[in-house]
Amino acid sequence: MSSLTFQSLLSRGAALIGIAVLLGGCVNATVDEMTYNEPVAGIGESSVVILGRRHAPDYDTEFDFIECIGDHIHSGDPSIEVINEIAFINQFYPWFEPRTAPLQPQTIDRLLQLPPVAERFTEMKLEYMIWIDGNTVDTESTGSMSCGIGPGVAGCFGFGTWGTESEYEATIWDFTDKVEVGRVSAVTSGQSYMPAVVVPIPIIAPVQGTACDSLGDQLLEYLSAHH
Amino acid sequence: MGVASLVSTIFDLEPSVFGRWLLLLCLTLLGAGCATKQVVVEGNFPAPLLDPLPITLGVIYPSAFAEHEFFDEAKGRAESDWLVKTGEAQVEFWGILFTGMFDEVVHIRDWETVQTRGSDIDGVLIPAIAELQYTIPTHTNVKIYEIWMRYQFRLVDISAIHQQEDGALSFNPDERLASWPITAYGKTPTAFLQTDEEAVNLAAVVALRDAGAHFVTTFGATPDVAMWLDDIARRQSSVAEAPETAPVESTAPVAAPVASADPSVVRDTAEKTEPASPTAEEPGPVDREAASGEVL
Repeated sequence: MSSLTFQSLLSRGAALIGIAVLLGGCVNATVDEMTYNEPVAGIGESSVVILGRRHAPDYDTEFDFIECIGDHIHSGDPSIEVINEIAFINQFYPWFEPRTAPLQPQTIDRLLQLPPVAERFTEMKLEYMIWIDGNTVDTESTGSMSCGIGPGVAGCFGFGTWGTESEYEATIWDFTDKVEVGRVSAVTSGQSYMPAVVVPIPIIAPVQGTACDSLGDQLLEYLSAHH
Repeated sequence: MGVASLVSTIFDLEPSVFGRWLLLLCLTLLGAGCATKQVVVEGNFPAPLLDPLPITLGVIYPSAFAEHEFFDEAKGRAESDWLVKTGEAQVEFWGILFTGMFDEVVHIRDWETVQTRGSDIDGVLIPAIAELQYTIPTHTNVKIYEIWMRYQFRLVDISAIHQQEDGALSFNPDERLASWPITAYGKTPTAFLQTDEEAVNLAAVVALRDAGAHFVTTFGATPDVAMWLDDIARRQSSVAEAPETAPVESTAPVAAPVASADPSVVRDTAEKTEPASPTAEEPGPVDREAASGEVL
């Protein structure tokens, strides 16, 4: 009797996992692009820096997301030099802190009035400054899961699911002309699942990763001569 | 059969030994909720990217600043006591910032330094932490760790520094050249695989950096500091002109160095006003005095 119950539990669990695998990993992505003055021949030996906005009171653009986009661009076209965000912020301290970071491309001229800042920008051969604003949040979650532990036995049973949403906008500044030359946005959402029959199996929707790939592809297309 | 006996049979342990282990485990789990969480703030602080102001600045870090710590007692069983020690990080951070911001920085630790370097020092800066507040997700149900600080900076002439009978340095708050507050804010979102302590440390580091950014961008715009900078610039230009011209006090306004990226911050140097305290034209005689003053 008990073995039959266990078998039925297993088959139900397998069915749940199957459904979850089918549904899991599905991410909806919407990408919007508006760019001007594309560098048709690429950016040559110049460099690009990608920075996150962190002046909003309720969220910060994640450092790892900025790193992900930088890696995506560099792996797509190794000739594009993407300056590490944290290294850049430290080298220009205190001019790119949340309190002091320029919000408009025109305000860069004010920074360039400081000789050491102007010198460092020249050394870097910076051509584009890309600001990313947005974040990823978990939304509604449902389901329940129970876990138990006893002498020699431990396990969980149940099912949980939650949604995740990402919303990012990249603003491209042409550093030579001090003008905005484009905006790219990516909105992604997905549902993650966690069925548990003895062992919980998380099936995570790669929402942030998809947003990174979407934005990265668009930026790569803009910056690279080969895409 | 008790649980201890059952498990001791399974794991081949003496019931009394297992009982002790179980008791210890329970006490640890119970104690974990109410133990003090301690953070000694640590971070790597960058040097500021500035042209240093042509000023020799004395800096005194009062013991309350250099050993600053913040203790918050738990409000309930679910919360922990918090002890956040920021003193070492404060001294390290402001030391790096001042060194990059001024031509020379003299760390005044004792009366001997006042006597030997007093004539070189244009002014003495004394930082203090007036207030510190923090929040963690258990306080607010928002997935953000925050630290907010309010500093009070005081700028005094070297002549306002005295030595007390016990050797400690003190100064008369009425003799200050300038006094101004600086607020700073740092936050860090709840991060995966990050402990409360690590997140509070990160928020404190962000707050320190913010304090530095605030200090740099407002230093020259603070009215009393602007007057002090004008005065130094006027003295320096008159010294530079002295060999060729008659020793007449220069009245021409000289643009004092301002560590601000905002060109809209323009000070009216033509308006000649008296400083709030005895002038800093010449470093005054350094008195050994046990007078009433604020002990540093």
